[in-house]
Amino acid sequence: MALLEVEDLRTYFKTRSGDVHAVDGVSFSVDRGRTLGIVGESGCGKSVTALSIMGLLVPAARIETGTIRFDGRDLNRLSEHELEDVRGRQIAMIFQDPMTSLNPTLTIGMQLTETMQRHLDLDRGEARKRAAQLLEEVHIPNARQRLDDYPHRYSGGMRQRVMIAIALSCNPKLLIADEPTTALDVTVQAGILDLLEELRDEHEMSMIIITHDMGVVAEAADDIAVMYAGQIVEQASAEALFDQPEHPYTEALLGALPQLEGENVREGRLTAIPGRPPDLLNPPEACRFAPRCPYAGGDSCTQEAPQLREIRPGHLVRSAHPASERAGMPVGASA
Amino acid sequence: MLKFVVRRVLWTIPIILLVIFMTFWMMRAIKGSPFRRSDKAVPPAVLANLNRNFGLDKPWYVQYVRYVKDVSTLNLGPSLVLRDQGVNDIVREHFPVSAELGGLAMLFAAVIGIPLGILSALRVNTWIDYVGQFISNLGFAIPSFFTATLFIYFFGAQWRIFPTNGWDTPSSKVLPVIALGLFPLTYFARLVRGQMLETLQQDYVRTAKAKGLRWRRVVTVHVLRNSLIPAITAAGPILGGLITGSFIIENIFAIPGIGRYYVTSVEGRDYSTVMGITVLLAVLIIIANMFVDIAYGILDPRTRDARS
Amino acid sequence: MAVNPEEVDVRTDVIRHEIAASDWEAGGAIRQASLWRDAWRRFTHNKAAVVSMVFFLVMLLYVIIVPFASPYDPNAVNFNIAYLSPSLHHPFGTDEFGRDLFVRTALGGRISIGIGFAATFAILIIGVLYGSISGFVGGWLDNGLMRFLDALYGLPYLPFAIITLAIFGTVNFWTMVVALTIASWFTTARVMRGQIITLKENDYVRAAHAIGARWHRVLFRHLLPNTLGIAIVFIFLELPNVVLGEAFLSFLGLGINPPNASWGSLAEDGNEQYLSHPLLIVIPSVAIAWLILTAFFVADGLRDALDPRSEAAA
Repeated sequence: MALLEVEDLRTYFKTRSGDVHAVDGVSFSVDRGRTLGIVGESGCGKSVTALSIMGLLVPAARIETGTIRFDGRDLNRLSEHELEDVRGRQIAMIFQDPMTSLNPTLTIGMQLTETMQRHLDLDRGEARKRAAQLLEEVHIPNARQRLDDYPHRYSGGMRQRVMIAIALSCNPKLLIADEPTTALDVTVQAGILDLLEELRDEHEMSMIIITHDMGVVAEAADDIAVMYAGQIVEQASAEALFDQPEHPYTEALLGALPQLEGENVREGRLTAIPGRPPDLLNPPEACRFAPRCPYAGGDSCTQEAPQLREIRPGHLVRSAHPASERAGMPVGASA
Repeated sequence: MLKFVVRRVLWTIPIILLVIFMTFWMMRAIKGSPFRRSDKAVPPAVLANLNRNFGLDKPWYVQYVRYVKDVSTLNLGPSLVLRDQGVNDIVREHFPVSAELGGLAMLFAAVIGIPLGILSALRVNTWIDYVGQFISNLGFAIPSFFTATLFIYFFGAQWRIFPTNGWDTPSSKVLPVIALGLFPLTYFARLVRGQMLETLQQDYVRTAKAKGLRWRRVVTVHVLRNSLIPAITAAGPILGGLITGSFIIENIFAIPGIGRYYVTSVEGRDYSTVMGITVLLAVLIIIANMFVDIAYGILDPRTRDARS
Repeated sequence: MAVNPEEVDVRTDVIRHEIAASDWEAGGAIRQASLWRDAWRRFTHNKAAVVSMVFFLVMLLYVIIVPFASPYDPNAVNFNIAYLSPSLHHPFGTDEFGRDLFVRTALGGRISIGIGFAATFAILIIGVLYGSISGFVGGWLDNGLMRFLDALYGLPYLPFAIITLAIFGTVNFWTMVVALTIASWFTTARVMRGQIITLKENDYVRAAHAIGARWHRVLFRHLLPNTLGIAIVFIFLELPNVVLGEAFLSFLGLGINPPNASWGSLAEDGNEQYLSHPLLIVIPSVAIAWLILTAFFVADGLRDALDPRSEAAA
């Protein structure tokens, strides 16, 4: 059985003008020891999905329907009290902006030990010792002294490492990393990704990495789910996805990557995807990607919404015109 | 750390001098010698004598220097009206009353206002919050002379629960303290509520929750600390508000404090008393702000490192 | 301060409905929202702010119109009709001299609010001047002035106002304005300086410079509109303080000389007889409270409306 099974998750935000369907029917699973990458542009619902799993939504948001089965239990049905036991201990999460995600008035050591004292039965001395070990594990030099430093003394990359250390401190089964490298320099990004991989192998942890950067999932993920406008539009193993992308959106995302060498070297402008995502206040009845899709046409795109279907074993796609069914079709054919 | 504190303390000295200077000049600008009253014609020779006695005939810079010297030795000079009392005596007699009134009012305001703010923030947009906000807004808008009057009318005259004059028995202190403390109470409540709401939205609170910490701990350790610390900076204005309020409250409740005495001194052209009290009050504020600064530096590690 | 977390900061993954920028293809109609139109819309959606604005304007209309429209002489003494209860003829009743309180309160309002606006503008100008000079000159001048103001933050205005009035000798409209201005400018200048420095250091100002914009363009296109917003909010915030200050001074007997009356002196009048005729102090007090409350909520609404960071969902 998979470690995490999300089924038909729908999360809506209450606004003055109505409900915004931020996550509209998302299902996926994460097996033990595997890394799932969730990719999509800003606003597609990937972060909200993660926050829904953790139960960390803002008061204006609610999980409308869906089950979130973790280790056999439906997290959606747990009380806040029970969820508090799961967070940090079974599932840990790290966030995008390391500059603001740490409490500036508490020492790093304190922010590490309080988690451990909460979930594991350690006393202060043991917790501190373990905290220093954790800092070493994430490659922070002078760990013991730095325990008593405040966050503002750490650089961005180091703070993110601290966040990772905190997340790992109670040996969670699942780590959710929401845009872990987005706020960091490119040079630091690689280091963080390497660290995550290293730790995942060592601790036999499952991971969900959320990002808008295809390069990050290419490197770090075993399986990938591509999200668009609150729904998953393609899901496959990483190799399968990069080898044979099916959904026009995935193709566009890959096409938008700059290629510096290899057979796909391109000179000239990067391909951008024209248009904007749809308004999730009133999601369209039809395919949500159709307005921006070069292959859109016919009723199956503009009248009905395509369902997520298995086009090959282990490869799901939500499109009326996946790549392998498109032989011979001219671009721009619209009814 | 020590360097920071010392520097901060030293900076108050030139500012106090400046304030004394300003007050000094303002006092001199008030027309009319204290000795020339409309109902008494003082013979010029006696006038000259009195002036000489009080040093009023010397040039202004001499007077100023002499005054500064006096102030630094905590001698606020003689009263120009009460011949047998110096300003020091006057202050010694009346200031403790005002200090007690102000202190109790501040205590009242903090003890009720801060928890009110915290509760409002934690139960935001519920009826608790709305009620709290309503009380806050009333206390903020209704002028204190009106609340004081209302108190006297109901509690004093109609229902006769509390005395409304003077400052001798504990029960006579209840009404003035509440009347004076009402405005700072609303200030505290609103300040704390706003700070808490802002803190609750911070990323690090989300992190704390993600760590699975119990909500009580998240609030007490992560939210409250970071919310209350900025509230300290309001100490200066609150003190100022208390001083202003005390002028009114002492007037209405006939409390022999310094606020009431100030007005009479101005009307009676008692230069030195007015100046003495003004300087005293200004120095109080300056010192309060200094303490706030230092406290802030101690409590918030970011300012400490930035300042030193 | 009226933060509604339900509507604020709907987190990152919710799509915004307007983009204040040029057009895109597809995706439906996109309103081109300028800062002011956006602010106006936000303000009008804030029920509390709109209601308060209406009440504020009602009050202004009252003090402006009633003295013209009223058939009564506010200074006419007629002991036969003293202490009348409110009625159709005298909506607020009459005072101990038989003077109609409806028109006297309106006149008092003219003076109180007039002093309020005058002093508020003066404080605003001084504050902006100070902030601009200090902010732009910088260096030791700014440093010294800033420390001076920091140390005096929260200095009570009453003592200094009283001294200033004593210097003038008489208390009339303008001396009161000057006294309150002198006493209150400290705290404001400090705030203004902070605001101006924030504006000056703002990234978009640097960006404007970076693309070669001349200083006057920077000034008019960027700094002034933002300062204007701050100034408007400030006016509604400071007005109650000043009016209250004048009321306090009058209450202590240091106010405008009769027969001109302000709300404060009306209250002082009423204070002497409130045990027997409470209405005489209730009315001016309620008037003051009315002004303070409405001005405050309007200021709050304006602040929310003008701050583009507060995302009140459309």
